[in-house]
Amino acid sequence: MSNIKEIIALSKRIAASLLGDKKPISLEETELFSELDKQYILEHLTDERRIRERLEQKEHINPEEDWKKLRSKMEVPVRKLRLWRYAAAAVLLLGLTTSYIFRDTLFYSSEPTPMVRIEAGTDKATLTLEGGEEVVLEKGAVYQSENARSNGDRIVYGEMSGDREVPTEGEEIAYNYLTIPRGGQFYVLLSDSTGVWLNSESRLKYPVHFAKGEPREVELEYGEAYFDVSPASKHGNSTFQVKTRGQLVEVLGTEFNIKAYRDEERVKTTLAEGKVTVSNGTLKETITPGQQSVVEITTGALEVRNVSVAQEIAWKNGMFIFDNMSLERITTILSRWYNIEVKFEDDTKKDIVFSGALSRSESVNTLLNKIERIGCVSFQLSEKTLIVK
Amino acid sequence: MHKSGKYSLSLKKYRDFFVEFYTPLCLFANKYLDNLELSRDLVQDVFLKIWEDKIEFRGEEHIKSFLYVSVRNKCLDHLKSKRHLTTDALDDKTIEKLEGEAYFLREVVVQEASGIVEKAINTLPEQCARVVRLSLQSLTNAEIAEEMGVSINTVKTQKKIAYKRLRPLLDKYYILLLSIALWGNA
Repeated sequence: MSNIKEIIALSKRIAASLLGDKKPISLEETELFSELDKQYILEHLTDERRIRERLEQKEHINPEEDWKKLRSKMEVPVRKLRLWRYAAAAVLLLGLTTSYIFRDTLFYSSEPTPMVRIEAGTDKATLTLEGGEEVVLEKGAVYQSENARSNGDRIVYGEMSGDREVPTEGEEIAYNYLTIPRGGQFYVLLSDSTGVWLNSESRLKYPVHFAKGEPREVELEYGEAYFDVSPASKHGNSTFQVKTRGQLVEVLGTEFNIKAYRDEERVKTTLAEGKVTVSNGTLKETITPGQQSVVEITTGALEVRNVSVAQEIAWKNGMFIFDNMSLERITTILSRWYNIEVKFEDDTKKDIVFSGALSRSESVNTLLNKIERIGCVSFQLSEKTLIVK
Repeated sequence: MHKSGKYSLSLKKYRDFFVEFYTPLCLFANKYLDNLELSRDLVQDVFLKIWEDKIEFRGEEHIKSFLYVSVRNKCLDHLKSKRHLTTDALDDKTIEKLEGEAYFLREVVVQEASGIVEKAINTLPEQCARVVRLSLQSLTNAEIAEEMGVSINTVKTQKKIAYKRLRPLLDKYYILLLSIALWGNA
């Protein structure tokens, strides 16, 4: 098949011409095809009906699903463990044993410490202005500037005097940052009326005004946020874009949650309403309500799966919803809201799964009691550390 | 194509390879079979064979010619198979057309060029992408402006942004293909 090389090169030239808004001269001049075939090719690349037909067919092909089918037919050889792996495993085992012995003596020799009471997190954030100046926003602290005002549980951007809705052309855009500590949460209404709920241990970068005619860009530097995006149709069709570590989400107007914690190697985007596209530079996926995209930071993989939206966005509605969630994940979530450290005395307890809905306004003790009552696990709380036994 | 102990295709690389080529090959197979369900099955068979026979590739052209030719042969075999002849027979003239080299090359060009165009457009911001899509359909700037409800100047600006952004991405696309092509020799 010596022709294939020529065919691939020709395809690239045709694609480049079309993308560059030029006539596909290479197709017109080639001797590989008859006039009729040339017409056929051009029609399939440029005719609206043909393009739509192709897209519709593509929608019926699900590589993920078919990969699973293929995978079930494949025989995958089991790799032999190399000697160093045995050695590594032995060292690991030894390490575990010693730490267990060490811990046992540690725990049994000391008196049990009385349970400390830790209350729920509150509305609080640090606002960083363009010049680097910091303002603490919390209950009872009223803040007011030319661009924004805060009553202590939310901050609202927009025209304070009614005459600054749109920035003038060429004006330098000022950015603000909102940093939420562990044990905090906050709500910000951006100048385009997009609402953002920020969870504990999160940081959002956003412009004080959005430039007209450009995509509305914000950056979730880390943490978790729920976006209720003001539709593009109200903003001259400007899309709304959220950058995070390793991914870009692009939307026209919709509601979705992004989870991009610094200590997690995955960025999860869950869609509640509408439609968004998620890309990580090389791959791009469109997700629909009820779906979640997962970007693996290290491998660059991008996967889409179905999830329980209620569970993912419960935090925004003042709830914890755990649907068959492992104790390890549950305690990670609790640690951010109650600002505590978690230690597992018994690592096997990490995989126990729990289900239930709990209120975020209760003290951590109340929540832990409820989990304890279901069984097989007990908690000890001292200072800022939760020990799981 | 040979079996050797040094074979280095990992499951992960194989999966990436599958994701990259599976959809266009199904669309390509469908041009022969006119049955998307069946196309998917036959293309999976081709991929299974690559894994089982530990087929190694040298370069983009080698990969693509192997995939397209294998899928075509599989489709033609199926069309000519007894089972197919009894249930859904095609006339000799149609079979002859489908067996022709011109038909094959024509469909390869459509898949290859469409793939590049779609990938490139998908990297653009929404408004930019819409302008390029409409411009591809031979709409004039004025027509695009009307269709999108924006000014002609906006269309022009978006086009400029698009072409500026597409240049390096097209180059990157070549590099991506090259790296996929190289794993066989790693």
